[in-house]
Amino acid sequence: MYKKGKYRETDKMSDLICENYPMVLVMSRFGIALGFGEKNIGDVCRQNKVDTCTFLTVVNFLVEDRKGLITDIDKCLSIESLIVYLHNAHDYFLNFRLPHIRRKLVDAIQDCPEDVAFVIRQFFDGYTEEVNKHMSYEEKNVFPYVRNLLKGEKDPKYNISIFKKRHDQIEMKITELKNILIKYYPGKDSYLLNSVLFDIFSTEQDLAAHNHVEDYLFVPAILALEKQLNS
Amino acid sequence: MNFNFKIAIAEPSTIIRCGLETVLRQLQGFHIQIIEICNMESLQESLRMHKPELLIINPVFPGYSGLQSIKDGCACPGIKCIALICSATDPQMIRPYDDQFGLYDSIDEIKHKLERLLAEEIPDNAENEEQQTLSTREKEIVTCVVKGMTNREIADRLFLSTHTVITHRRNIARKLQIHSASGLTIYAIVNKLVELKDIQ
Repeated sequence: MYKKGKYRETDKMSDLICENYPMVLVMSRFGIALGFGEKNIGDVCRQNKVDTCTFLTVVNFLVEDRKGLITDIDKCLSIESLIVYLHNAHDYFLNFRLPHIRRKLVDAIQDCPEDVAFVIRQFFDGYTEEVNKHMSYEEKNVFPYVRNLLKGEKDPKYNISIFKKRHDQIEMKITELKNILIKYYPGKDSYLLNSVLFDIFSTEQDLAAHNHVEDYLFVPAILALEKQLNS
Repeated sequence: MNFNFKIAIAEPSTIIRCGLETVLRQLQGFHIQIIEICNMESLQESLRMHKPELLIINPVFPGYSGLQSIKDGCACPGIKCIALICSATDPQMIRPYDDQFGLYDSIDEIKHKLERLLAEEIPDNAENEEQQTLSTREKEIVTCVVKGMTNREIADRLFLSTHTVITHRRNIARKLQIHSASGLTIYAIVNKLVELKDIQ
């Protein structure tokens, strides 16, 4: 189990990563590379020109794994910085993670009957397309809207509640693929397929966490910003 | 067999909230997702968003305006409610609740109370057995779905009402844990219900 509790900027970055290895992805999405030696979180962030408060907010949010609503978002949270983080996460899923899983999956299932392999590939490609649509909507509609909001320009036809309502759980269908492989995969036992399964497990969690950040950190922060502009 | 439940815990004390969460997670046979509610402002929205089957709430939670207003406000009229009693409380106040937890309840007592309360949601054993496999009719419907037929078309083909088709589809999704047509396609191919050429 991961260590619970709030991380502070005086904690060592290496401790954070070793105690909660999924945070290596968060770090990378903020644009921080490995090899930071003994430096603490604050120093590493400043050196990489990353907003420390936003980094820590995301890290603590994910580490503490709160299921409830966050009502006390830190005032120092930088929305620009959060958007960079979300954008890089999209890039990671679409341009690295999903294509990588596909390559491994195609390799892993080549011994099973061709018709089964075909429909599994079809399922995966359909899923990738859904994720693509989901994330493109955010990139093309939500982020530009928020960037304008930050400049003080309010779009009369859009607000973040529209996004909140249509934002669906993007990890549901990859969960389905996982269930199908576990219960119905007709091929032989294989190290590679198990490895794909592990990738799918971790991607499922990563996508759920990503959505969680959007629903419980990003959306409330934008709601607050809208309220502030309206008053 | 695991049963999936969402349980919301509304309790201002972190120690009690987390303690109860730990106890609930230890219960065997239950797969529980916990929603923590630590202040009254977020209660309604959390309930609306997560739609838990059960709410465990401290009846003396500061700012709490009573069970009925919660039920009215959260659009979840069927929600079950357990009072979490942490101090001497007027029995009159507890009456509207479905049950109560005390700080000294044993794990077994808690488990029994949950089982009693959530009995309707827990499928009985007979249903568990048949949960594994699809009936002949359900297999026919899977075949039609993966061929891309609409509910209307399936109903016409099999001489059923669309309502019945929808019920069958819901049961199929529950049994297989597969909700999408493309997922059903994999199931149908693996189990040789259709051939690839039928669906292309």
